[in-house]
Amino acid sequence: MKILYKNSTDELILIAMESDAARKGDYLLIHDEKVKKKMIVQIYNEEYLSSQSLIEDIVKDEVVVASSVENSHDPLDIGRLSRMIRDARLFRTKIRASIDSESRFSNEITWLPSRVDSKIGRMRISEINNLVKRTGLYSIPLGNSGWDDEQFEIFAEDLDGKLNIVTGKKESGKSHLTKLLIKSLVEYGAFVIVMDLNNEYGGLAWNGDGTPSPLNKQITILEPGGGLGFSLDYCGKASISNMLKNALDMPAASLREFIRIWDWLENKNTLDIEALGNAINTWNTNELVRDALISRYHAICSSGLFVGTPSINHEGLRFESLTARNNQGLALILNMGKAMPVVRRMIVELVLTKVVELLGRSVIPPIFLFAEEAHLYVRDTYWEDIITRMRHFGIYATFITNQPDAISDGIYRQVDNIFLFNFTNETDLDKISKVSLADGDTVKSIVRTLPQRQCLVIGKVVRDLPMVAKVTASNLMALGQTKTFFKVKSN
Amino acid sequence: MHTQINLVQDVLGWNQLKSFLEPAIHQCIPSELSSFLKGRQIIFGSGESKIVPIQGWTSNNKNVNAQVMTIQPVKEETTVLGVDSSSMQIAETEEGAIYAVKSGIATAILGKILAHFKMGPMLFYLSEDTLKHSELDQRIIKLVLLDSESAKRLIRIRVERAIQLELSHHFSGSILLVDGSLRSSVFEHRMHTLKKVVEDCSLYNNTIVGLSKSTKIRILDKISHPLTKIKGPGFMDVDLIIKSLTRNTIGDSLMVKFGSSYTSPILRADISTSDRDRSRSFGKILGNDSIARGYPETLQLAHHISTFTTTEISCLKSHILNKYDVIELVPEDIRKKLLGSIPV
Repeated sequence: MKILYKNSTDELILIAMESDAARKGDYLLIHDEKVKKKMIVQIYNEEYLSSQSLIEDIVKDEVVVASSVENSHDPLDIGRLSRMIRDARLFRTKIRASIDSESRFSNEITWLPSRVDSKIGRMRISEINNLVKRTGLYSIPLGNSGWDDEQFEIFAEDLDGKLNIVTGKKESGKSHLTKLLIKSLVEYGAFVIVMDLNNEYGGLAWNGDGTPSPLNKQITILEPGGGLGFSLDYCGKASISNMLKNALDMPAASLREFIRIWDWLENKNTLDIEALGNAINTWNTNELVRDALISRYHAICSSGLFVGTPSINHEGLRFESLTARNNQGLALILNMGKAMPVVRRMIVELVLTKVVELLGRSVIPPIFLFAEEAHLYVRDTYWEDIITRMRHFGIYATFITNQPDAISDGIYRQVDNIFLFNFTNETDLDKISKVSLADGDTVKSIVRTLPQRQCLVIGKVVRDLPMVAKVTASNLMALGQTKTFFKVKSN
Repeated sequence: MHTQINLVQDVLGWNQLKSFLEPAIHQCIPSELSSFLKGRQIIFGSGESKIVPIQGWTSNNKNVNAQVMTIQPVKEETTVLGVDSSSMQIAETEEGAIYAVKSGIATAILGKILAHFKMGPMLFYLSEDTLKHSELDQRIIKLVLLDSESAKRLIRIRVERAIQLELSHHFSGSILLVDGSLRSSVFEHRMHTLKKVVEDCSLYNNTIVGLSKSTKIRILDKISHPLTKIKGPGFMDVDLIIKSLTRNTIGDSLMVKFGSSYTSPILRADISTSDRDRSRSFGKILGNDSIARGYPETLQLAHHISTFTTTEISCLKSHILNKYDVIELVPEDIRKKLLGSIPV
């Protein structure tokens, strides 16, 4: 391999022969022996060495060979050299970092390696990890990476307090990676809440063969009417008001009346669902306000998210109790697959407001929130609240989506890590290349050709050196798969 | 003493100079155009490549009295072999130059191309040392060392003749198509002469045909006009004219048209056939080779496989640098340096 030319401020074009095999995403080390400096570049695209004359030669040869059988006498073996030139590749690389003569690693590159004296070789993932000091205590093995299929791991510390996005087209492997992340976090004792839109994360509790997984006891699956029920008293006025305002679109006048009713019931110490219903019906208020209150009350009742009068046996869901009982780590899977869209929004409002309140009082430890297709149940205006305010309380969000344009630019600007799976749609690629942490060329070129279950990892988990990872297969039970007509029929 | 002009002091000096120069130039070559060109047929060209009018020169020519013979395809299984080669200078040393040569042979039977054989590229180094023990005449040695065009021609002719000679006695009843006229050359090796090739062809019942795409004998373009009047293939004898103008031509010289339209190109053909039946030999070419744009496809293919590609030239240079322990010097284009490099 040799340096051919520099194309722009951060791009080097290398020429490689057939024997210099490398793949998109591989890192190369350019060692300029004269100045004793090294440059780290990453291949983001591979092309043929192409010139008009070379193309004409190839076309001419093909026409000749197609028109008659070829025999040849080539004493100097020039044909072999000619074939080598025709097969020569151009590696388009991005300059990522530099190592100076005193072995100091830096992202600032103000020099250019010699085209004549530089030696170029592939870098191992372990070499890169050593250089960027990518180490940690809590390893999350994701699979393999690099030419030699070295083990690729990230560290839970790099997800801690961070905002992450897992995105890619349908069936590219997003959920699979997310499950690996959740599994590892729970194994390390983290408290994880999963907004599960396809009821698939429950599979974390089971192995593929149907036996309980090592995490079985740390997985709690909740759904409206199935464990996901709160008492009004536990939720508190703030959570319920937020829910009424944001999820049920209650007008301000009706909300004020509701708060009065709430305070009245609270003072009487009779705050429960039944008493709330009675109070709304008998409350001396404008009929329009009463109608608004009654319709919201019915929505609350039919959601299945609230329990009646709390008793010793049935006090409703309490997050602090769950975390206290599972101090070795817990994944709280909120199944929302069967819930109506309005109920999904109510769940999100209630859970987030309550968790923030508990975190504010330091009653529960910080939590990792995994929100799948969050744009379907979280209001646009609510996004930035999640990623700015909540992370200061201790909610570290990971959004999983196949629609990169559903996430606003404001979120992308604050994102710390992106796990990018395959995208072929030009609009999606444009969006993701504009907002991702890596340069657009790398994202567009690599992501477009990623096979299933391979992703481009960008951000703090890889110390801002984008890496392509083959996500390992897991033996967890796969749920949430597409229900197909013919499969059902054949069964 | 002539009048002296001072261009610095006398601004009228330029006019004076003009009055001297104009008659001087007119005196050396007549420059009268209008009276000579009026009513003439004309085609424009740079003079570097041979161009002819599509439908020939249509003016009456006094020299036209040759008979046009039509050619009918003869569907008799005969191997047609087209041979072509090319040579080029690859590098220079202080003492000589390195040349590369490439040859191609294409075969056809009953209108179908059978196979082709590509030879080369091969390298030859011509210097005083390498030519010292050759059987070449000293004058020719000096010529090829001084003139690269002659050197390329020497290499190409020698390689081509060697191939033609081998083909002429390894095939029988075949037709050997050669690019260019059948003319003996001073550059031939004494063992591989065209005469010997023709003799062997005759001995083994082969026919050899040299086809020239263009000729330097301008009169042939005018003479061949009657061929543009027939639609199908045909030929006419121009042997007397050729023999009177050139020496060393072997076989019968003809003007031939292989194409089947009025505007098909007319080629000069030198043919040597054992049975003297030229019409039948051309018929066999039509019956066994395929004619594309008025030219035998075997020769077209042989031409394509014998020409150097840009990649091959780069590979040859790389081969020389890698294999022969040479030191590459930085080249300089003297012409570009002196005249500047403004692209035109």
